[in-house]
Amino acid sequence: MTNEATSSVVAEVACPFCGLACDDLSVDTGGDALAVVAGGCPKAQAGFARMGVAHAGAGARIAGKAVSFEEAYAEVARRVKTSALPVFSGMALDVNGMRGVMDLADAAGGVVDHLYSEIGWRSTRVVQDIGYVTTTLAEVKNRADLIVLVGTDVVTKSSRFFERYVWNDEAMFEPAPSARRIVYLGGDLNTAPGRSPDGREPEVFDFDCSRMPEALSTLNALLAKQPVRDAAPLGIEIARWQALADALRAAKYSVLVWMAGDFQPSQVDLNINAIMAVVRTLNVSTRCNGLGLGGADGELNASMVHAWQTGYPMRTSFASGIPLYDPVHNGSARLIAEGETDTVVWVSALNDTKQPPAEACVVIAPPTLKLEREPEVFIPVSTPGVHHVGHFFRGDKGATLPLRALRATGLPSAATVAAAITAKLKEVSA
Amino acid sequence: MSVIKLTGGRVIDPANGVDDQVRDIYVKDGRIVASLADGDKVSAEYNVSGRIVMSGAIDMHTHIGGGKVNIAREMLPEDHRDDPVARTEITRSSCGYCAPGTLAAGYRYAEMGYTSCFEPAIIPMNARQAHMEMGDTPIVDTGGYAMLGSDDFLLRMLVAKEDQQTINDYVAWILHSTQTLGIKVVNPGGISAFKFNQRKLDVDEQNAYYGVTPRQILRTLSRAVHELGVPHPLHVHASNLGVAGNVDSTLATMDAAEGLPIHLTHIQFHSYGSEGDRKFSSGAARIAEAINRHKNVTADVGQVLFGQTVTASGDNMSQYRNSGLASPKKSAVMDIEMEAGCGVVPFKYKDQNFVNALQWAIGLEIFLMVDDPWRIFLTTDHPNGAPFTTYPHLIKLLTDRSFRNSMLDTINADAKAMSNLASLEREYSLYEIAIMTRAAPARILGLTDRGHLAPGAAADIVVYKEDADRERMFEKPELVFKDGELVVRDGKVVKVVRGNTHVVKPEFDRGIEKKIEPYFRQYHSVRMNNFKISDDELCECGGGSKLIPHACRKRS
Ligand code: SF4
Ligand SMILES: [Zn+2]
Ligand SMILES: [Zn+2]
Repeated sequence: MTNEATSSVVAEVACPFCGLACDDLSVDTGGDALAVVAGGCPKAQAGFARMGVAHAGAGARIAGKAVSFEEAYAEVARRVKTSALPVFSGMALDVNGMRGVMDLADAAGGVVDHLYSEIGWRSTRVVQDIGYVTTTLAEVKNRADLIVLVGTDVVTKSSRFFERYVWNDEAMFEPAPSARRIVYLGGDLNTAPGRSPDGREPEVFDFDCSRMPEALSTLNALLAKQPVRDAAPLGIEIARWQALADALRAAKYSVLVWMAGDFQPSQVDLNINAIMAVVRTLNVSTRCNGLGLGGADGELNASMVHAWQTGYPMRTSFASGIPLYDPVHNGSARLIAEGETDTVVWVSALNDTKQPPAEACVVIAPPTLKLEREPEVFIPVSTPGVHHVGHFFRGDKGATLPLRALRATGLPSAATVAAAITAKLKEVSA
Repeated sequence: MSVIKLTGGRVIDPANGVDDQVRDIYVKDGRIVASLADGDKVSAEYNVSGRIVMSGAIDMHTHIGGGKVNIAREMLPEDHRDDPVARTEITRSSCGYCAPGTLAAGYRYAEMGYTSCFEPAIIPMNARQAHMEMGDTPIVDTGGYAMLGSDDFLLRMLVAKEDQQTINDYVAWILHSTQTLGIKVVNPGGISAFKFNQRKLDVDEQNAYYGVTPRQILRTLSRAVHELGVPHPLHVHASNLGVAGNVDSTLATMDAAEGLPIHLTHIQFHSYGSEGDRKFSSGAARIAEAINRHKNVTADVGQVLFGQTVTASGDNMSQYRNSGLASPKKSAVMDIEMEAGCGVVPFKYKDQNFVNALQWAIGLEIFLMVDDPWRIFLTTDHPNGAPFTTYPHLIKLLTDRSFRNSMLDTINADAKAMSNLASLEREYSLYEIAIMTRAAPARILGLTDRGHLAPGAAADIVVYKEDADRERMFEKPELVFKDGELVVRDGKVVKVVRGNTHVVKPEFDRGIEKKIEPYFRQYHSVRMNNFKISDDELCECGGGSKLIPHACRKRS
């Protein structure tokens, strides 16, 4: 914040627009919209520009008609109170927003589900089945000598991965960053950022990513010194697979990177399990780690808070008064499809592009969200890291970043809204 | 203004030398006062005659917050299923036995008469998460110790032979930036060594890259903490966790402090000999003798109790080595941010397993052979030896020899034969239990207004109905007051309050940031200014907890 006194540019701003949470942005707060003037990426620029406005004139609505916030809170309280199973979905929130919704969901006897939980619960299942061996971004930046990207290019979702963590001008340990070896497993990926600063092309194992389980079992078989009959698994000669296995064995600190959201949903746990098998085999003799990236739209804020407060991951029902975890049964899409909920409350302060499900009767979101249909209750909220301070878990679980307040708005935060609804709910009960 | 009177209780307050004396206690606005002023009107009087009155208990080493605990929660839904906490009018629902949710942990601690809990392994980069979790742990006060010793910044300073003063500035900067109460070192230098593929590191063995030894790290950090005047000595999880024969490296660790104060944590896990047919034996006698002799040494036990638990440690070198013993078979091991690491391994201690049974006996031997209750602390290293909810059972083992011996008769016979436990006659008195669980932890953490009942103290007060069965007595206090508010009645939460956060803020030269800032820019994943947690932010991420800074008196 060195420039703040003299100019409208705020430095070292953390970005809440993807799971990388880059914290080197400079944002000009002088104009009508926030402008990223250093650091950042197109997604960050668009996010700060679109959401970084004062939202003058935005207000709450019931059935499309302007109402006071108090009336809107009371109406939501009434609805969740009378519902047998209110579902709180979306959950693109900062830590305090999630804390607020957790209070509400517990009091209302509902279920909380993040917009990426359909993938998230499958990743969690790996932790519950076998666990993991992983590392974090600063370790990758300084130690990684061989980086294997498994079915992801990372950059489609988090464009600054290579810039910030791979092609650095200097690392603490050998090798020099420019000498790092980059391997992509899977085709149809944006591999250009994997080219080293001195022009060395990455290695690409070009195959249909839906066949990742076969690719990983080939690698696991070779690492286990088991015979592989196919002379060219997935159309790639066995010698190249063997060379990759040998390179992994020879590497001092290899890293296998994945983004669960880039796997086919039905293969998420299968693939992560197989990656972990590779990692565990290699760690007998050298160091090798997984690096699961994700965390966009506050995915980790939601999953972390849920786990630490209640003990369980999301998709836990509070309907009976004690937490009951069932990630299949309590998926919001399933509950909606089966008609097991009559009240869907969409809460999203970080994302103003994702449409809530058609069944959402309450929408709590930034006013910049262009709704395809008017919900029964709409409550506009401010955005963490834009209008108010907050906390954001980075996708590697390595750090939590402080989010800044860059632009004033009259709108409440999601945490404030959730607390107000909870208070009304308790009035109704009392 | 609120004025409370507790009338006629049998007060046990070792910090003030009070042993079972009948006294009235007055509380005014959350503080204990000697007497009432003229205009004061008692707003609530509690007749506690015949009851035992102590200050609130303090757990100085319990893993209640931070990354690894949350991994354990996520990993173990099977742990939580049978231990739900139901929602009430005033409390939220939660669950979990060995890896409970923060809400369950806070309620249960309070219901057992604990009013302060300290998270001992805060990775500096992860301090925010730790404070958030502690902030969501209701009722109890919290605080933590920041982990150093495998962080590349310190190791590079040691290689560069920076002077002690500069290192002190860095250590102080870490305490400020992470809002913590002490410094912890875990497997000194070993977590870094593991990243370079070393699988063990003895006290005088060199880190393969830096050439630095654990002894150097211990000497430097214990001196830094001492010279900065941080009340709590360097908190040490020694080398060779859980390894047979590690008693030698534990004794070497004590020596490495060169007479300066040093606290050895979960010392039970570091008190193993390698004698006997199975090359595993008790080193408790040697350890207890060393503690008795070295007045600069304190220790908490990390008692093992039988049953299912989960081990969660910053010592990923050891946790990786132990992952084959996981039960159920799963484990998580992480390298973290050029600072540290962590490992989570579920484990089931079985009374018929020779090693587990001997671990149980070794912990009790240490408790009973260390003479000075001011220098040995009651912990299970929750959840590593057992969940904290087993404390009342542990108190019974310490206070009741016949109960202890009847338990000893049921464990693995070979382990029993290897232990001298049966011959140890000592039974802890209530006064000694109060020292171990209140007065001594407050003193060693520098919490001048906690752990005692003299005027000026915070009114964290527990009232027990005396019961010859000490387990029953300690598991369900009649009344618990937190900062003067009645929070528990008959072992149930009746009011939820928010605890405070305890920190230290030693003086230091801010010029150290000129070295730290470029390091962050070049090597770290965040900027220095986003790493630091300000006072305002702490209260924000702690959900509104009040910050209590404790004095440091510089010694250099
Ligand atoms: S990569 Fe992600 S976190 Fe970084 S600036 Fe772009 S959107 Fe923000
Ligand atoms: Zn430890
Ligand atoms: Zn511990």
